[in-house]
This record gives sequence, structure tokens and C-alpha cells, in this order.
Amino acid sequence: MGADPLGAQSIGSRLMEFLGDLAKWFVENWDGSGGYLQRTWEHLQVSGASLIAAAVIAVPLGAWFGHTGRGGFVVVSLVNVGRALPSFGIVALALPLTIWLAKTVPFISSGLGFLPTFAALFALALPPIFTNTYAGVQGVDPEIVEAARGMGITETQVLREVEIPMASPVILTGLRLSAVAVVATAPLGALVAYGGLGRFIIDGFAIQDDVQIVAGALLVALLSVLTEVAFTWSERWFVPSPLRRTAESKDLVLRPVV
Amino acid sequence: MRRSFRIRTVGATVLALALVASACGDDDASGDVPADGPTINVGSTNFGEQLIVGEIYAQAMEAAGYPVETSFNLGSREVVNPALKSGEIDLLVEYTGTLLTFEGGTSTTDSQETYDALADLYSGTGLTVANYTPAQDKNGIVVTGAFADDNGVSSTSDLAAMNGTLVFGGPPECPNREFCLIGLTDVYGLDFAEFKPLDVGGPLTVAALEGGEIDVALLFSSDGVIAAKGFVLLEDDQSLQPADNLVPVLRREIVEAYGQDLIDLLDSVSAKITTAELSELNKRFSLDAEDADVLAKDWLADNGF
Repeated sequence: MGADPLGAQSIGSRLMEFLGDLAKWFVENWDGSGGYLQRTWEHLQVSGASLIAAAVIAVPLGAWFGHTGRGGFVVVSLVNVGRALPSFGIVALALPLTIWLAKTVPFISSGLGFLPTFAALFALALPPIFTNTYAGVQGVDPEIVEAARGMGITETQVLREVEIPMASPVILTGLRLSAVAVVATAPLGALVAYGGLGRFIIDGFAIQDDVQIVAGALLVALLSVLTEVAFTWSERWFVPSPLRRTAESKDLVLRPVV
Repeated sequence: MRRSFRIRTVGATVLALALVASACGDDDASGDVPADGPTINVGSTNFGEQLIVGEIYAQAMEAAGYPVETSFNLGSREVVNPALKSGEIDLLVEYTGTLLTFEGGTSTTDSQETYDALADLYSGTGLTVANYTPAQDKNGIVVTGAFADDNGVSSTSDLAAMNGTLVFGGPPECPNREFCLIGLTDVYGLDFAEFKPLDVGGPLTVAALEGGEIDVALLFSSDGVIAAKGFVLLEDDQSLQPADNLVPVLRREIVEAYGQDLIDLLDSVSAKITTAELSELNKRFSLDAEDADVLAKDWLADNGF
């Protein structure tokens, strides 16, 4: 038995030791500029900024193309090409540009870190929001839209007061998909000197600190799950009550584009 | 249609097998020296010079008939060192001073002394070192030419006058390293406003220094990019960096399997790798974007291997 270094007991005790180190890491590394509270905040900053920027552009654009129904297919195809671009590639492509920007534009202090990370996450967030908004607005029952027009309201009002509220569960699904993808991809920023939770993974790998790598990965996973949960909850505030995913209104809910 | 497709598939398979068999046959015939023995897996860390010198030793051994495979770009020393000790790789080009310190020894600025201490440390272990090369590659503290002129700095100590204002960029492991941030703080008394974790003396660090994102960079002293970009390598006036000659470290069982012939071959290659040659190779790799395996092949041909 003694000649079995990988026996069940040994693995068990090593696992216990590792879990102990992990717990110790979480107790010791929460505060300060390199602590995980600060890193989580940085992570949320770049994720939030890129998601908001993507939403500001993709929601109105998607809604307008969905409303008119013209040229929509071409735009959806075009935006979907964005899904094929790897985020890591965008970081690398953006870097020379952002360094140049920081050099030329006075109020941009750094071309490392935030900007290239933002560029990659923005490109990642755009397609799901656009596609879902487009599909949601276009999928609103034409009879409802006709009824609204019959009441004499303007086209803008049709879009704002009928189509967008009707499509809101699908639009929100697009935002949720993007948000989770963005939070899960933001660790890439650590490769170009951004902070965020990716720092623990990249730095941990450089010094082969398994505890730090696993702790960072767990924090990223946790934050992604929390993002998913938060967006699911937010339906409460953004989706009109008859359209919420309840048992009696199931037939009204449109199918999101995943 | 289906039948003919199947016949063609079978035919192609038979042909492929025949080709493989004949290829194997060729190998056996040309293997004039050692042939059967363990395959020598050459590893490397994750920066250009490591790929180039890794290729040089790998190709030299391959040309002499040794079975060789390569596992390059594995990561930092914290990754490759355990890989070498556990036998996942068999040969690795290391740096005497940095490795000695990593293993808990004390390195000096003298090449021979540092090498001897390393050889002593490995005697009786599963690892052994071949002769060291004349080439040295140390951590180099680098600034741009304009920065050096404007602030009148030529040595690392001069930076202390600007404590609290400078941004320093280097590899992510730098804050944990004696010869990087720890040494710069303890030995030179430097206090940087910020440390930016970038890559290991690679294109990101060069771009960041050139673009003014960082004021001070950690590059490798043998990197040809320093001269090519007009950067200034600051003098290590407090002798923080130890003698760091390139040296092949290999598993003892490989030496036992192949004997002194293998060591002689490695030593003959090592003797020709100088710092100047290395700088030139590094420059061609990072600035002219030539491939490591092509550079190694050219170098071996130029040096008569």
C-alpha cells in the first residue's frame, strides 16, 4: 500500500490541502489595489462600459430595421460576421491603434488596458443584442401593429409604445446573452495590462500558482452566473407584466434568437 | 459509384501505408549513429530567443541521428522547470545565474563560478548540465533614447531620482522575481508609480515602451531590438543581475542512454553561440519576423553543422 503514491487517500488529502489553501487565499486577498474586490470592480467597469456602448448602438438600430423590415437580412448577416471574430484577435488588432490614440489624443491617458479590452468586448456584445432586437421587433404580431396604426398613432409611436414593449423579453434576452459573454471574456484584458479578474489567472500562470489560478477562475465563473441571474430578475422591471414568463402568458412570449 | 469510391479509399490507404513504411525504412537506413534510444524532447519557455536556441540544439541533434521532438512555448520557468524534472521534456536551454537562484543557490557575476555552483547543485539529481555558452542574456532595464537624453540617465541607479513618477513594464512574474521588481526595489531603492504586467521581453513590451505607455521596460540584454529601436540599456551599476550564460540542462537518463557523444555534440554547438550572434538572431526573429526553425537552420549551416 505504501508504494501507491497516487492512492485514493493521498489524492483526498492533497485535495483537502488545496481546498484549504484556496479558502486561505480568499481570506487573505480581498482588499487593497490587487485584492479581488478591486479586481471585480475593474472587471465590472470594462464589462459594463462595453455592454452599455453596444446596447446604445445595437438596440435602436435593430429596432429600426425590425420595424421597417427592409434591408434587415443584409444587416443581420453583416452583424453576425462579428460573431466569427475572435475576441483575442480583436485585442491584438486594437492594441497598436489604441497606443497610437493615447499618443495623439490628449485626454486618453493609456492605450494599454481598458481601451483594447473595451474594443474586444464591445465587438463581442454587439451581434446578440442587434439580432435579438431585430428579430423581436420584426416578430411582433402584424395584427397588433395594424390595430395600433388604426388608432391613428405615428410610426415612431408604434415602434416605441407597441413594438419595443412587445419585443422587450427578446431584447432583454439579447442583452443577457451579451452580458454573460462579456463578463466571461473580460479576463482577456489581463493580457494587455488591464486589471480585472483575469489578472489572477494570467499572473497565477506566470508564477505557476495553482491556487491563484483556480481562485481567479472561480471568481470569473461566479460573476458570470450572477450576471445571468441579475438579468433574469430584471425582466420584472423592463418587461410589461402580461409579457413576463409566467404560466398564463406563455403563448405571448416570443422566441429569442440564441 | 459507391463501390469505386470504396476501392479508391482502400487503394489510397494502402498507398499511404506503403509511403509510411518506406519513409520509416529511409530513417533506419540514414540513422548512421545512435538511432535506438529514448526520444529527446526539447522544451522551451515562451520568448523568441528560447525558440531559436531550442531549435538550434534540436536540429543539431536531429542531424546527428538522434530521435528528437520539440515542445516549445510552454510558459515561464515555473512551468518548464517542473516539466524537466518530471521527464515531460528532456532538454531545456537555461540561464546559469537565474536558474541557480531559482533552485535556491547563490549566483555571482562570474560565469564559471556560477556554472560550477549550478553543476554542483545538480550532481546526484536527475538533471545535469552541459557546458555553458559564451552568450549571456540578462534581464535588461531599458528606456527610450529620448527619455535617456531628456533625463540624463545611463545607469539603473539614475532612475531613483524619479522615484514615484515612472511606470515600469515587464512580464507578469516580475513582481515575484529577485532579478526583476524585488531586486530593483531592494537593491536599487527604486519606487515605481505603477507596474504594468505585459509580456516576456516581447512585442507588447516593445510597443508599450515605444508608444510611451511605460517609461521603463524589462527586455533581454541580448535583444537586437534594443539597438534597432534606439533604446538605451541602462547599466546594471549595482550588479543586480548575475552572470547568465545560456546552458543546456538535460535529464541524466538521456546522457546515460547516449553517452559522452551527445554531450560533445551539445558542447560543440554551445561553443559557437555568442552574445553577438544571439542578438542578431533575436533581431531577425522579432523585427524581421523570420521563423525560429529557419533561423536555426541558417545558423547551423553557417557554423558548419
